[in-house]
Amino acid sequence: MTLEATHCLLRMYEEHHNLEDYQGGVPRWCTGCGDNAILTAMQRLCRDNDLRPEKTMFVSGIGCSSRLPHYMHTYGFHGIHGRALPVAEGIKMARPDLNVFVNTGDGDCCSIGAAHWIHAIRYNMNMTMVLHDNHVYGLTKKQASPTSPRGLKSNTTPRGAYLEALNPLTVTLGVQNASFVAQAVDWIPEVLYDILTAAFRHRGFSFVRVIQRCPEFLPNMFDPWLQNPQKTLVLTHEHGLRLSANLAKVYKNQQEHDPLDLEHARKIASVEDPIPVGILYQNPEIPCYEDLRLSGQLRTTDYVRAGLEAEFDKFTVWPTEQEQSKPAA
Amino acid sequence: MHDGADGQAAIKAELQTMQMNVNADAQTVDPLIFYMTGKQPGSGRDALAGKRPALLAAYGDLTRLRYDFPLVLIEGKTNGAPIRSLSSVVDEMLQKIAPPGMESEQLRKMILRIEREIRTLAAAGESGRLSELWDKVATRLEETDEAFGKSARIARAAIEIDGVVLDCCAGMATSFIAHLWSAVQESKAQKFRATVSRLAVKLADILRTDYLRSPAGRSAENLQAAVGPAHQALFDFSAMSRLLSKSSPREALPESRRRRIESALAVLKSQRFFAAAAGQARPDRSAEPYSFGFDNCADATAAYQARLPELAELVKAMSIAELEIDGTYVEAKHDVIFSGFDAGSLSPQDTALFPDYLVTLGAGAPALDNAALMAALSSEVPLKILFNVGDLFEEARAGDGHFASGLRGAQVAGLAAGLGEVFVVQSVSSNLYRLRERILRGLSFGGPALFSVFSGVPEQESSLPLYLSAAAAMQSRAFPAFSYDPSAGSDMASRFSLENNAQQDTDWTVQPVEYADPDLQRIRQETAFTFVDFLVCDPRYHRHFVAVPRGFDIKRMIPAAQWIARSPTESSDNVPYILTAGGDNVLSRAIVDDRAIGAARRCLENWHRLQESGGVHNSHAERLLKREKQIWEDQKRQELASLKPAAAAAMPAVVAPPTTPAQPAAAEAAAEPEAKAPERSTDEAYIETERCSTCNECTQLNDRMFAYNANKQAYIADIKAGTYAQLVEAAESCQLGIIHPGKPVNKAEPGLDDLIKRAEPFL
Repeated sequence: MTLEATHCLLRMYEEHHNLEDYQGGVPRWCTGCGDNAILTAMQRLCRDNDLRPEKTMFVSGIGCSSRLPHYMHTYGFHGIHGRALPVAEGIKMARPDLNVFVNTGDGDCCSIGAAHWIHAIRYNMNMTMVLHDNHVYGLTKKQASPTSPRGLKSNTTPRGAYLEALNPLTVTLGVQNASFVAQAVDWIPEVLYDILTAAFRHRGFSFVRVIQRCPEFLPNMFDPWLQNPQKTLVLTHEHGLRLSANLAKVYKNQQEHDPLDLEHARKIASVEDPIPVGILYQNPEIPCYEDLRLSGQLRTTDYVRAGLEAEFDKFTVWPTEQEQSKPAA
Repeated sequence: MHDGADGQAAIKAELQTMQMNVNADAQTVDPLIFYMTGKQPGSGRDALAGKRPALLAAYGDLTRLRYDFPLVLIEGKTNGAPIRSLSSVVDEMLQKIAPPGMESEQLRKMILRIEREIRTLAAAGESGRLSELWDKVATRLEETDEAFGKSARIARAAIEIDGVVLDCCAGMATSFIAHLWSAVQESKAQKFRATVSRLAVKLADILRTDYLRSPAGRSAENLQAAVGPAHQALFDFSAMSRLLSKSSPREALPESRRRRIESALAVLKSQRFFAAAAGQARPDRSAEPYSFGFDNCADATAAYQARLPELAELVKAMSIAELEIDGTYVEAKHDVIFSGFDAGSLSPQDTALFPDYLVTLGAGAPALDNAALMAALSSEVPLKILFNVGDLFEEARAGDGHFASGLRGAQVAGLAAGLGEVFVVQSVSSNLYRLRERILRGLSFGGPALFSVFSGVPEQESSLPLYLSAAAAMQSRAFPAFSYDPSAGSDMASRFSLENNAQQDTDWTVQPVEYADPDLQRIRQETAFTFVDFLVCDPRYHRHFVAVPRGFDIKRMIPAAQWIARSPTESSDNVPYILTAGGDNVLSRAIVDDRAIGAARRCLENWHRLQESGGVHNSHAERLLKREKQIWEDQKRQELASLKPAAAAAMPAVVAPPTTPAQPAAAEAAAEPEAKAPERSTDEAYIETERCSTCNECTQLNDRMFAYNANKQAYIADIKAGTYAQLVEAAESCQLGIIHPGKPVNKAEPGLDDLIKRAEPFL
């Protein structure tokens, strides 16, 4: 039920923020770290969509990626390792009006947080999750993560990692109810921004994997891709990504892909060279958990009290009639 | 009309010999004179006494038919269907407990018998709820057969709904529309209560939070009361109060804001436009909710005007509440607006959220002033008017059998549709159930709506059941159904509908009449049901008919439908007739006079106008089509003519391939206009800014030479703020390779040869 009068009056109240208005603390990331590009893209998104800082929430776990909420001048929650998603889901259930973003890393999400990740995809709650995938545990100074390539030598794998890397895209696309899956790279900021914008505007759980550089511990890992644009496969579509003319001249390796085509998305996700960049899958028809659970009942104090009383009454030991009739001792 | 009669009744035909009702003084009537003058000699006996149109002969006892009536006005949870027919309720129940098959055949028969008995009770005027009537019938039938009781109980348990049973009676339209109107208002009320409850709770939360943060809220006494008696001994409330008072922010709600919120809250709690939900008491018991049912437009309009200031206050309070809850109330801007907020600030969308005013104009109401009704409908008051059309036939002031320009009751809806922004439904009462979705749409429409309903020839005038005479009015085009929905689109094709009218593209509906001839052979004759046939349903107009005199040549009798189609000025020695049937199931003819034929012609013209509006035989469309067809034919003829000489001179004629319609130009993929890359010489230093990933490499090197733009992407802010060496170093450390150092600006910088060599890959 919307009043026309309120509509007009709300339009009178327009706040415009500059990029600097979303800048929190000065980032402490290493120079050249891909997290900077993601931070900039998020700030641009907030500015260009006029997101009210008091209505925007960044939730993170532990890791370099999870420093991001400190650098945004919005509400933020820097949680414990692997538990960004349940916190974000709780926030969304309690305050469905907030714009919720989740920043997590490859260790935080794909290792300790894997269970939450799987079910967050299923719940399809309306939020945007950004997986800062630098293929290593960077904050704790170079340990192998689930997405570290086989053979990577680290403090915990001095002879090289034994296992093939986990592919977050194929995992996400394999879960029921996945509604938005995309991949970006931090060295193409324009595409990164477009994908994050599409992810934000999608109603549902938007999963964006950003392959990012770690200049400190894996400085040359992505050099072949940086130096050869042909090793990046850009997915384009009228309902997906569109490259600008300048960028299209550089990144000529493009493929038309319909984001609704799940089978094709899964095939593309399995390919790691060239790196596919774009929206792999988007289905706006998947219902969001908070919509399915919306009771419509107003949670007033009396309502909550009545509910609690009803529950406690189930365990209450009521005195028998005989006991009731006895005089008090 | 339902064609549910058990077979066709055998009707003896008087084809060769017509029985004539000889008048009292034995003078015979000359049919041609009767047709022209409408007068018959002597006392003029009613030639149609006890007769009905031949097409209605089969519908003797409606209670034996299974059709839409009676209806059940459902109470409580309606699941989107506030009214259902008894037959649909029973069908649904049978599907559950007695699906088709031999096993449940006995149960089905019993339940259908109960349904028939309920139908009979309702037709006899017995009122009551479905559950009451069901139990009554079941008890009565159980006295004769015990099995009925068991079946009735099984069926009764399967019926999940209940409500008043309503037959097609004189007051049916009023009950029908009122029930649907209540359902729509209840739906609005639920939404309104949900919104206002939410606003009130949120506003109360703001005040409560402010209180809790205030010194009074943090006092030891208040904290102790909040904890409750069970664990009070565990806490030192004074210490708690001191701690909370020190650490919490000191900002309290500004006084102006507090007053504003309290005022809005008071208005929300004391509103009278919707009743409180069942089980909830109103805060102010003395102020009862407003009533929105009236029996005349003037009172409804006056009530609306009187309540308008209160409505404006309520909308204002709701707007303020939304803004305060959202935290976007800006006193500098909004105070000015709200100080002048009054009834004139309300939009139609705002008033549509509140109850409509139901006005029921009864058939017995004082003579309706069409102008006053049109004025009420165009006044922007959210009226929903039920106009019960009492009598379709109006005699002219000249009286004595002259029909008025007439059918005035049938014109009201057409006039209202002409206003443009009024939702209009015209229908007979027997068809209301079939139009229920459209009526619901009209009752939910944001603006005024008119429902014009004819409930049949009054029972004191006619022996026909109201359902039949109402249906006959619709079948005969005397009162056709139509609807006009302004919200359905911007053109007539979207807005106007003639749905439910049988055979919309014909002048009259045509149905077969079957009878037996003197040799008992079955004859089937397609017969039109015209306005004149409908006149037979009302004995007050039987003076426009006369029986066929003995010996009159039947070849001189033309069916009335054919006669009406002729030109009025065409002279003839023939006379028009219609077919009637009496209680003895004998088919006979009756001659019609010119007055009745004239009224039928006007009825037909009215129907033609409605057809045009509904897109049937639209004269404009037909003319346009004809013109376009003519142009196309001429064009083709010319093309053929131009080809003939060439064909004759040379080879055998080759028909020129048909001109293919111009292919639509292939749509080019919309590509962004290629931004012209600025002409850059390799000597110039620049950064491909749009590809910068904000890694801080260059800005950390020299934040005066390299700066970020509004999108936090790097560009060369001041080439002179650093050295060429720094440019080259930045280019080398940029992982994306988007820094191009160009040639050195300062030729005197040391080590240039080496730097230029290092810069080459980046030029």
